[in-house]
Amino acid sequence: MIKLQGLTREFNGLRAVDDLTFEVKEGEIFGLLGPNGAGKTTTVRMLCCLIKPTAGRAFVGGYEVGKDGLKIREMVGLLPEAPGLYGELSAYRNLEFYAKLYGVSKQKREANIERFLKMLGLWKRRNDPVGTFSKGMQQKIAIVRAMVHEPKVLFFDEPTAALAPESAKVVRDFILELKHERRTIFLCTHNLYEAERLCDRVAVLNTKLIATGSPSELEQKFGPGRTEVQLERVNRKIVDVVRKLKQVKGVEVLENKLLVEVENPEVTNPVIVETVVKHGGRVRYVTRTAHALEETYLRLVRESETR
Amino acid sequence: MKLDKVWEIARKDMASVIKHKYVFYGLIGIPLIFAIFIPITTIYPAVSGEEPSENELPPFAPPGMAPKQAVVMGLVNMAILMFMILPAVIPSTIASYTFVGEKVNRQLEPLLATPTSDFELLIGKGLGAFVPAMVATIASFAGLVVVVDLLTFQLFGHLILPNLVSVVVLFIYAPLVCLLSVSWCIFISSKVNDVRAAMQLGVLGIVPVLAFYFLFMGGLVSLEWPTLVVFGLLLASVSASLFFLSRATFQREDILTKWK
Repeated sequence: MIKLQGLTREFNGLRAVDDLTFEVKEGEIFGLLGPNGAGKTTTVRMLCCLIKPTAGRAFVGGYEVGKDGLKIREMVGLLPEAPGLYGELSAYRNLEFYAKLYGVSKQKREANIERFLKMLGLWKRRNDPVGTFSKGMQQKIAIVRAMVHEPKVLFFDEPTAALAPESAKVVRDFILELKHERRTIFLCTHNLYEAERLCDRVAVLNTKLIATGSPSELEQKFGPGRTEVQLERVNRKIVDVVRKLKQVKGVEVLENKLLVEVENPEVTNPVIVETVVKHGGRVRYVTRTAHALEETYLRLVRESETR
Repeated sequence: MKLDKVWEIARKDMASVIKHKYVFYGLIGIPLIFAIFIPITTIYPAVSGEEPSENELPPFAPPGMAPKQAVVMGLVNMAILMFMILPAVIPSTIASYTFVGEKVNRQLEPLLATPTSDFELLIGKGLGAFVPAMVATIASFAGLVVVVDLLTFQLFGHLILPNLVSVVVLFIYAPLVCLLSVSWCIFISSKVNDVRAAMQLGVLGIVPVLAFYFLFMGGLVSLEWPTLVVFGLLLASVSASLFFLSRATFQREDILTKWK
């Protein structure tokens, strides 16, 4: 659905996006991760035909960026970093305005606005000026705005930034709902928990593409591969035997937990459990360490910056 | 160009901007000043005063009339020329909000992401400032005609407005001044980041109007056909140049990457 071939963008000789090549399949939620200034917004702007690439090519729904701008803008929906709504106008009027610009028929327009506002719990506030809404409510209206013409491809730039946890959850659930409708979603985010929860695949970007794959693939390939084994009680003997295992790269002890660095958790974890039990340990839980994608991401970005 | 989209953009801008108190009161207040306050404070004293002598006639008084009629007619012409300030000031106020205001509030990016061309957006947003300014100008002019005719009917024995000068000002100069003002504001929008600064710079759009006004007041030009045509052509060329400049400024990519 989205295809980038060496996509590059320079601003006054400085490369904001350098030689991006990857594909996003139809119906996929694809996350673009990267630090501030990594080129995420520039990439989205190029793919939405708001700015032109300096070099390389990109295709959205078979149309080429830079050549079929109107066609691409017709089939995509964009949620930019800032909601950018008209505060003096009502939520309904804001959405109606955009629906008309996207050429949505009256009947469809009314049905879509009602459906999406109800999904996000804002139907009752439809006639209130958007300027009186909280940040979270404005963000939800901006999401509906991106959806009002039922685009095949959606670009969400930090959709849950500055949202309270409950609003963020509503938005995440909404995004998952859209995935069930087979829409392709391109998600720029700093929120790695969100990326891990929502994305089928992610790309880590720091001007250049650092890595792509599913969150678990990236964790496996680049992540620290840490397994957390919670025991009733940790003793020195257990720590020593686990440390001596071939596939184990290191062991840390935190209260009654063993934090074991492993290369191939699927293979090594059963061996670790077997060894612990054999030496009298009583296992309560075995888990991957929380925020595994976060650690992978940070490692990848750090490495890219030292290159 | 899809006219329904253009009109929708203009409608939205008009609906949006009218809710700003500053613009709303400006749209009501300024036309009232031009329609009622200026003629009453300038023309009424001349109508009700003593008959001036031939030697006391100001340079803007047209020839071939009785002295008092000449003074009053000159003042009426000045009020009509002054009237061109309206289509310069109102659109600059509106355009400052709809261009600079939307840029500052980051409302332009989602708009630019819609399947509308740069030209449709430009025309739509331009119309959003042009239409209310022209409506206010025409409504205010209707008020001016009534006030002036009421004040001067006894002196002249007939209705002096609308006359040729007023028709030219209202239907040729005013739209051109309006276009000039909107185009100038679009150009300014790319350079400033503050609505008030845009309004202040936007007022520069009245320079050609004031220049013509002072030339007339000083008696250096008279409101004869050749003068009207020359000023009209001058205004048209400045408006057209500024419009092309604004069109070159209003490019999707530049708005997102080069506008301040």
